[in-house]
Amino acid sequence: MQEKKLPALIATPDRKKFGGIVGKLILRSQSYFGLFGIFILSIILSPVRNGHVVFLNPENLLNIVRFASENGIIAVGMTLVIILAGIDLSVGAVLALSAVGAASLMMRSDWEVIPTLFVVFAMGAFIGFINGVITTKVKIQPFIVTLAMMTIARGIASLWSGGYAIPLAFGGAGAPQAFKDMFAGHVILFGLEVPVQVFYLTGVAILVSFILRNTGFGRHVLAVGGNEVAARLSGVAVDRTKIIVFTLCSFLASLAAMLHAALVNQGSHIDGNGYETNAIAAVVIGGTSMAGGSGTVLGSVMGAIILSILDNILGLRNIQSEYQMILKGALIILAVISQKQKAE
Amino acid sequence: MLEIKSVSKNFGGVQALKDITFQVEEGEIHAIVGENGAGKSTLMNILSGVYTDYKGELLWKGQTLKFKNPRDAQIHGVAIIHQELNLITELTITENIFLGREAYTPFGMLDNKKMDNEAIKLLERLNLYINPNRKVKGLRMGEQQLVEVAKALSLDAKLLILDEPTSALSENEIEKLFAVIKSLKQEGTTMIYISHKLDEIFQISDRITVFRDGQYIGTKLTKSVNQKGLIRMMVNREFEELFPNTTAQSGDVVLEVKNLFLSDDPRKGRHPLYNISFDLKRGEIIGVAGLLGAGRTELLETLFGVNNPKRVKGQILINGLECHFHSPSEAIDAGLAFVTEDRKTQSLILKMLVAHNITISALKKFLTHQIIQKKDENKAVQESIKELQIKTSSPDVLVSKLSGGNQQKVSLAKCLLTNPHILLLDEPTHGIDVGAKAEIYALLSRLVSDGASIIMASSELPEILAMCDRILVLCEGRLTAVLPRSDATQEMIMEAATEFQTSVSDTLIPQL
Repeated sequence: MQEKKLPALIATPDRKKFGGIVGKLILRSQSYFGLFGIFILSIILSPVRNGHVVFLNPENLLNIVRFASENGIIAVGMTLVIILAGIDLSVGAVLALSAVGAASLMMRSDWEVIPTLFVVFAMGAFIGFINGVITTKVKIQPFIVTLAMMTIARGIASLWSGGYAIPLAFGGAGAPQAFKDMFAGHVILFGLEVPVQVFYLTGVAILVSFILRNTGFGRHVLAVGGNEVAARLSGVAVDRTKIIVFTLCSFLASLAAMLHAALVNQGSHIDGNGYETNAIAAVVIGGTSMAGGSGTVLGSVMGAIILSILDNILGLRNIQSEYQMILKGALIILAVISQKQKAE
Repeated sequence: MLEIKSVSKNFGGVQALKDITFQVEEGEIHAIVGENGAGKSTLMNILSGVYTDYKGELLWKGQTLKFKNPRDAQIHGVAIIHQELNLITELTITENIFLGREAYTPFGMLDNKKMDNEAIKLLERLNLYINPNRKVKGLRMGEQQLVEVAKALSLDAKLLILDEPTSALSENEIEKLFAVIKSLKQEGTTMIYISHKLDEIFQISDRITVFRDGQYIGTKLTKSVNQKGLIRMMVNREFEELFPNTTAQSGDVVLEVKNLFLSDDPRKGRHPLYNISFDLKRGEIIGVAGLLGAGRTELLETLFGVNNPKRVKGQILINGLECHFHSPSEAIDAGLAFVTEDRKTQSLILKMLVAHNITISALKKFLTHQIIQKKDENKAVQESIKELQIKTSSPDVLVSKLSGGNQQKVSLAKCLLTNPHILLLDEPTHGIDVGAKAEIYALLSRLVSDGASIIMASSELPEILAMCDRILVLCEGRLTAVLPRSDATQEMIMEAATEFQTSVSDTLIPQL
């Protein structure tokens, strides 16, 4: 009759004593601790060349962040959606559509960078807006709405591109060189060539984290995710909050699409395949609960970096990508187990 | 039959039970009362095998007994029915009763026939004649409670612990449950009955044991004590001190409701509220009485803009201006506040801090350019905590960690921070202890003397009679009486509340 609640009831009073402050700190900052652990492990596992640990090479470390940037930016938006107890499965498809759109406008229609970005970002945001409106006004679960939107966006991307990748050639008769510099360039900082992606990721993470912690809108997101009924009765505009969050998430997927297109020099309707699951994985590893109501943006960025380190170290050791997949899965489960401990 | 001998239990540094000794006799209904935090639930968790590390001993028919876990307690014949029901609503009655103990045919298939027959027999013992293959989610609250009792009976319980069993039931359903309890008693089942509602305890119990602050205060024969004496034992304070002296100061009309209708579903043509008109004056407290499902909550919700405006007909005038709220936030802007009946599901955001819960409704006040000014916010939170005497170690703990009474104060604090001039309260003292009740009553009387007006729906008639200047009585969504305090009595209220009693049982909306 009572069994479900049992472990919690029995365990709570005494386990707290043993836990101690250290244990609490580790649990509270799960993602940072995880990042630290993976980092140390990677140093140990890293190949050594000329007496240098290859993994710790500054260029390698910047590469890790660069490869984490697309997933990280998407994960930041996904964090807000998941805090609302929702999900957005359409981010990968939005990325493809945005990449195709940017490539097509610049290569086929010879558009300049600014109008291209304006149209692509507006399109990304609009898809999110539609996700939000259908979720709130028609009251269909976000899982279903965004699943449908995923195939719709990919379908449009395929029609627009004609079914094959649009190559991006920069300079001369091709796309403006400014696009490449803007989204895949470098900035020299302290004698290091820092990829611009790092700044996009950092900027987005800090901005959205600030919004979540310090603005009325952020507080409303946490309130709606924690208890939608109570939030509405407390005067929170629930529908508006949700629509803004879906719009922001989809917009960030468009931004990630620009980084992607500039990096791989093309826009294709099959871009961003599986990116939605990667983003969800980063969010979960970052300690945000799928039940909604709590979570951190910085944790999700850590999650994305952890996944990127995993790719990097296995790449350095020439380990097949299949193992990466298996390890990623194990990592997600570990993260959730540690979350459960935290809840108790 | 059950002897509790110097039982103590610590949680960390807090002593939840101090050296408790008393006996429960075979075949009696033994009530346990005490304020929240008095130690009632701790003791029940020991009796039902949830807590196993306690000092002292339990004697069951003279033999020492130590349960290893709740299942062990069930095997020994101790069953507990919790305040929050533990039924799986998507399963049928039979499936719920036999969950985990299913009967099988020799071929290893579920023996549904046998279980159904068994279930029917159990339900008949409880005077419940329904198809055991119905899903639990379609049942009324009272029926669900009886299914829990049936489950306990199927375990062949010798000792049945009922923890606040009536908190979600209507008057009718309570009557039925009491009839069942009485017949179980005749069959020889021993029962421990925990409730905040003292009148129920006087109606049903043989003996009453009082706890206060984890200590055993005493056991009395129910016949030998009265309500006042009992409250004195519970809180160390007199009954009269509970309610402050409120005197009506009739000011201008602040709220006028004219011919208000609320339709359930336009196609069905049912009306949870039917042609209601009244007014509320400045500094006045109006009570709304009625049975469960009479429309009390619906009335407050409609005033607060919770319901779809398409379902609402009639006029609501605030300070003479007609208002049509499309959402609660518009009502809050117009100076209304609503303290909901169920604080856990409708009012508080349990995953948020006490501080953030207090400021969520009035967040606008602390924003400059959309950014929260944490200094201002903290200051307002500190003031609220001080003013309402909310007992919390810090504003930065999760609101779920507070006791029921303090959670209710957080709910109130949240509403008061929006500076409302009309407060709508739905069961403002539901499930909280006497001490916190007294504090809330004092607060309400302070608010009205400062010029606020209050509409308060409550199922506790003594509270309504003591606090309210006028009493509206609803029955099936209709206003059946408006009684001034000077000549209202419990009997008059009940009479008006049951004016259409004959059909009430057919139309009661199950509260899920």
